[in-house]
Amino acid sequence: MEHAFVLPNSGHNWDAKSSKMGMWLFLFTELLLFGGLFLVYMVYRALNPDAFLIASFELNVYMGTVNTLVLLTSSMTIAMAITALQKGNVKLAITLSWLTILAAIAFLVIKYFEWGSKFEHGLFPGMDHYDSLPLGERLYFYLYFFMTGLHALHVIVGGIFIGVVIYFMRTGHVNKDKISLLENSGLYWHLVDLIWIYLFPLFYLIH
Amino acid sequence: MTEAAISQPNFFQVKKGLFSWIFTLDHKRIGLLYLYSIGTFFLVAAGLGVLMRLELLNPGRDLIDPQTYNQVFTLHGVIMIFLFIIPSIPAVFGNFALPLLLGTDDVAFPRLNLFSWWLYILGAFFALSTLVFGDGPADTGWTFYAPYSVRTGTNVTMSVLAAFILGFSSILTGLNFIVTIHRLRTPGMGFNQMPLFAWSLYATSWIQLLATPVIGITLLMIVAERFFGIGLFDPSIGGDPILYQHLFWIYSHPAVYIMALPAMGIVSEVIPTFAQRTIFGYKAIAYSSMAIAFVGYFVWGHHMFTSGMSGPAAWIFSILTFFVAIPTAVKVFNWVATLYKGSINIEVPLLFALAFIFNFMIGGLTGLVLGALAADVHVHDTYFVVGHFHYVMFGGAGFAFFGALHYWFPKIWGKMYNKKVANISFILLFVGFNVTYFPMLILGIMGMPRRYYDYLPEFTNLNQVSTVGSWVLILGLIIMIINLVVSRRKGEKASSNPWNGITLDWQTTSPPPLHNFDKMPEIPEGGPYNYPDAHQVQKQK
Amino acid sequence: MDHKEKNTEQLQEQEHISSYKEHFGTWAALILLTLMTVFVSAFGADLSTLTVATAMLIATVKALAVALYFMHLKYEAKIYRAWLIVVMALFVFFLFMVILDYLTR
Repeated sequence: MEHAFVLPNSGHNWDAKSSKMGMWLFLFTELLLFGGLFLVYMVYRALNPDAFLIASFELNVYMGTVNTLVLLTSSMTIAMAITALQKGNVKLAITLSWLTILAAIAFLVIKYFEWGSKFEHGLFPGMDHYDSLPLGERLYFYLYFFMTGLHALHVIVGGIFIGVVIYFMRTGHVNKDKISLLENSGLYWHLVDLIWIYLFPLFYLIH
Repeated sequence: MTEAAISQPNFFQVKKGLFSWIFTLDHKRIGLLYLYSIGTFFLVAAGLGVLMRLELLNPGRDLIDPQTYNQVFTLHGVIMIFLFIIPSIPAVFGNFALPLLLGTDDVAFPRLNLFSWWLYILGAFFALSTLVFGDGPADTGWTFYAPYSVRTGTNVTMSVLAAFILGFSSILTGLNFIVTIHRLRTPGMGFNQMPLFAWSLYATSWIQLLATPVIGITLLMIVAERFFGIGLFDPSIGGDPILYQHLFWIYSHPAVYIMALPAMGIVSEVIPTFAQRTIFGYKAIAYSSMAIAFVGYFVWGHHMFTSGMSGPAAWIFSILTFFVAIPTAVKVFNWVATLYKGSINIEVPLLFALAFIFNFMIGGLTGLVLGALAADVHVHDTYFVVGHFHYVMFGGAGFAFFGALHYWFPKIWGKMYNKKVANISFILLFVGFNVTYFPMLILGIMGMPRRYYDYLPEFTNLNQVSTVGSWVLILGLIIMIINLVVSRRKGEKASSNPWNGITLDWQTTSPPPLHNFDKMPEIPEGGPYNYPDAHQVQKQK
Repeated sequence: MDHKEKNTEQLQEQEHISSYKEHFGTWAALILLTLMTVFVSAFGADLSTLTVATAMLIATVKALAVALYFMHLKYEAKIYRAWLIVVMALFVFFLFMVILDYLTR
């Protein structure tokens, strides 16, 4: 028998504001997840300031800077994609979203080369050069790999999320009147950017 | 409220079969899925508890060897905390009753809700799998302190990953409830017209959301340290094990308020109903929930007074710890004031609520002893702590859970439990509980350490009293469970409002239809507990 | 009122659409701040603690730019900003107490 009475405040209606609120709440959990790592970093840096400084010289500031610029640009492109869709320009929105993914790939490629060079120098926990480092430096590199690794994982997830949204934009499921998924993927992407905004100076710009 | 021709099948009847349950999007079914799974794991952990008490019947070895004993108390703690108490009231009764109390037909994100339950099951699977392979379950205690947790050969990684997954389940439930409370309240129900259980779930959800990620990342650090053989808490690379304790307790202290706040919310629902009076100081109770959640973030160091933490940090945490008692006391005073001159209806849910107040007071006051830095040095890691936390977690939150079970039993199954048997089970539980755990407070002050497999001869008598108490407790538990299970089928039919309650959950049938309400629910005028006339109560059986 | 109408109404309420210009301006500011922070680090004197503080300050300004403009926080309901402040304050407290422990040992 058909269900006749529907509450005005039914939980079964998809609701843009709820969707946005849910995404923001999820972002708070991500902030605290990374927060734990930042806390560990701050403590160990306070205790080993010189070691952290010396260790940071291993990092390539140019690559780090380029990566920062890449991510900041990708934040702009996804934000513009939302503007485009809000104005009804689906094609532009899709193009800008693709550019964001391209930036994500560029970021990961650069990261790949950075990590690669560290491996070549035996700097990963467990490798010979690493084991011979002073204690503070070993903490630095452990944190470097853990934090940039976890961040890279989020870059991948964010990229996939945007990819899925591109698909939905093409099928029309995400459109001018139902924009939440694009907005939420943008919010997630900005979080990825935000974390890097702090990672960059903490690891690359110690002096 | 007429019981005549029900136009809708109830939520049990709409679809049948296993798949309609494990793929359900109905918050009521999800609540019950949690109930059955949580109940099962609770019994496993309770069994482990009985086993421990049997081992402690006499000094020396009674049944199991020391290594096994360490694994037993670890698994007991992991299951009780992560698989039972933390999810219990929010996941079972929050899921079942919150939408009803708010006058809506589901939570904000029903599919996310189902996913939360699947994560719970996955986490449980991980936790219990530690029993069957390798060196067996972790033997570190549920706190997984480094460096031992990194070195031991037992299944720490699986246990810790279980906790990580369960944490995710908890986070998503909290997220769901926050959005539900903000967005789905019935028209006319502002935040200050919400039932207090909803307020307590709101405060709890914020703790689940913000605190859990910290332990999430900390546990990943432990996994990494085990995997790579070195890690961030390893002194051999300059790390500090105490940093692990900080990170662990930054979550685990707020976690105890995840356990306590919903329980207090239950008491705040039960007392007005069985006093047939509006709650005394609605806003004070509502805001005290938020205050407890808030202050609870600032006190974690009181678990670490003897760890090697600095003196200044220790006394700052001690002072902050005292503040958290204040909002709790506000609640107790307001509950008692509500009962004063009420038209008291003595039913089992009320008995559990009163037992909560009694037990939580003992638990809370012993907590102050532990919060006082100087006193704590004497009783830290003794049975005083074990007594304290069982009083608040079991005597408090556990009893509130049992109370909620009886309170909403008729609403969920449309049947009434056998009241005589329920009363008996309550008495056994209450007496058994206190006989089990009160001696522990004394043993702790006498100096008996916790997590020890053996003890000095002078501690024997009290240990034996405690063990006998545990048998009474278990008997009460078994009788309660049998009563509820049998009454589900064979109990007398219950009306939609057997307790003459005034919150919206009682304005629909027992059991409710799939979409909760067949017509617009009516908010009581003047407040959620505004009973019309305390002295003309019509009791419907 | 069925839910489709409800959502279109909501979107009409939430009129503000960030312009391309605004996003571009935010981007330009971010690039500038990044170059600034690299500059300070490369050529700044041995200020050690001050350099950390400066770097964190610039990072925070960048983060605020991303949050307020790219994430639209400036135009969202006030409660989101309140929540974010609470979350950040909580993190700062955790950091503060833990570092206090280490510094006073």
